[in-house]
Amino acid sequence: MIQQEAQYRAWMLAALAGDAAAYRMLLQGLTRHLRGYYAKRLGAAAAEDVVQETLIAIHAKRATYDPTRPFTAWVYGIARYKLMDEYRRGHRKATVPLEEAGELFGADEAEAAGTRRDVEKLLAKLPQAKRDLVRAIKLDGQSIADEAARTGMSETSVKVTVHRALKSLGEELGGSNADR
Amino acid sequence: MQTDELIAHLSGELEPVRGTEVARILAAGLALGLMGSALLMALTIGIRPDIVPAMSGGAFWLKFLYTLVVTVLGLKLVERLSRPGTEARWPALLIAVPVLALMGMMAMQMMPADSATRHALLMGHSADVCSVLIAGLALPLFASLFWSLRRLAPTRLTEAGAAAGLLAGSAAATIYAFHCTESTATFIAIWYTAGIALTTLMGAALGRFVLRW
Repeated sequence: MIQQEAQYRAWMLAALAGDAAAYRMLLQGLTRHLRGYYAKRLGAAAAEDVVQETLIAIHAKRATYDPTRPFTAWVYGIARYKLMDEYRRGHRKATVPLEEAGELFGADEAEAAGTRRDVEKLLAKLPQAKRDLVRAIKLDGQSIADEAARTGMSETSVKVTVHRALKSLGEELGGSNADR
Repeated sequence: MQTDELIAHLSGELEPVRGTEVARILAAGLALGLMGSALLMALTIGIRPDIVPAMSGGAFWLKFLYTLVVTVLGLKLVERLSRPGTEARWPALLIAVPVLALMGMMAMQMMPADSATRHALLMGHSADVCSVLIAGLALPLFASLFWSLRRLAPTRLTEAGAAAGLLAGSAAATIYAFHCTESTATFIAIWYTAGIALTTLMGAALGRFVLRW
């Protein structure tokens, strides 16, 4: 899931720097996902051509990958574009619902990436010191004792700070849901 | 060809890519288009004869600032939309800021004015040609920016076309400001904005035909 994103992204960065072996691993890995993705929508017979077209597009357009953004989203953008292109050529249904964004790498994966992004967005609303504490303890799994030592706070106040920060984020969530 | 062979072939011809490639392609398109539009204007309607004294007045810089801010946002928007899997919401929303700011200035001019003054503020002396000339001057920019985008990878073609149209229109309006002798916020808010809106619509309409790759 997130590891997959990290692995593919690492291969991609190496490939952009000219590492042919990493590039090969990347394309081989992506081919498996693409095959499944297109076979499900176009049938196994038509899928292979589109897989190859997509690989060529990934190759030709690799400079448009922005390393500060998720690699899986970039690949999915291309895969979806090629699928629409295929539909258009066949005069079939010309829209692909956006809800399928996770389809390429498995739904759980896109969900996890989305959740992580949401968490980061929420965390950004906290002041720096609190944010660091919440991230260290709740996301990175640091112990309260370690964080207390690092920040010079007592363990109790670390606990209280994290608890209050989470509570305020909870209220934030409740508030923005009510807006909708 | 077998997919395995294709992969071997593609990884065999792999060359390193610079991180600045997208920026270089867009900069080349914008620069080329700006030169084309400036040349087109110089050969047709020309620069206003009083450009030097005009540049010491606030009106010239108001026009310049307005179109420049929209140009910068348009460039950001095009850059975002030229990459698969990227969102472009915030630069799109930010475009409302300069537009609303100028609309605010327009309201302050129009409110205290009587109806004859309002009419003069609205129509200036070139209301009939301003937007059309901006759209016309945008044509070289249109061509060069679409050329840039085709070398990149826009996946939402209508949006990408609209963004390229917005950028072409605002950059062309920046050039047009060297010809135009209008000097009120009201005129700029209406007719410059209309010119840019026109090129944005043109871009949106053309995007899915011209930008396919």
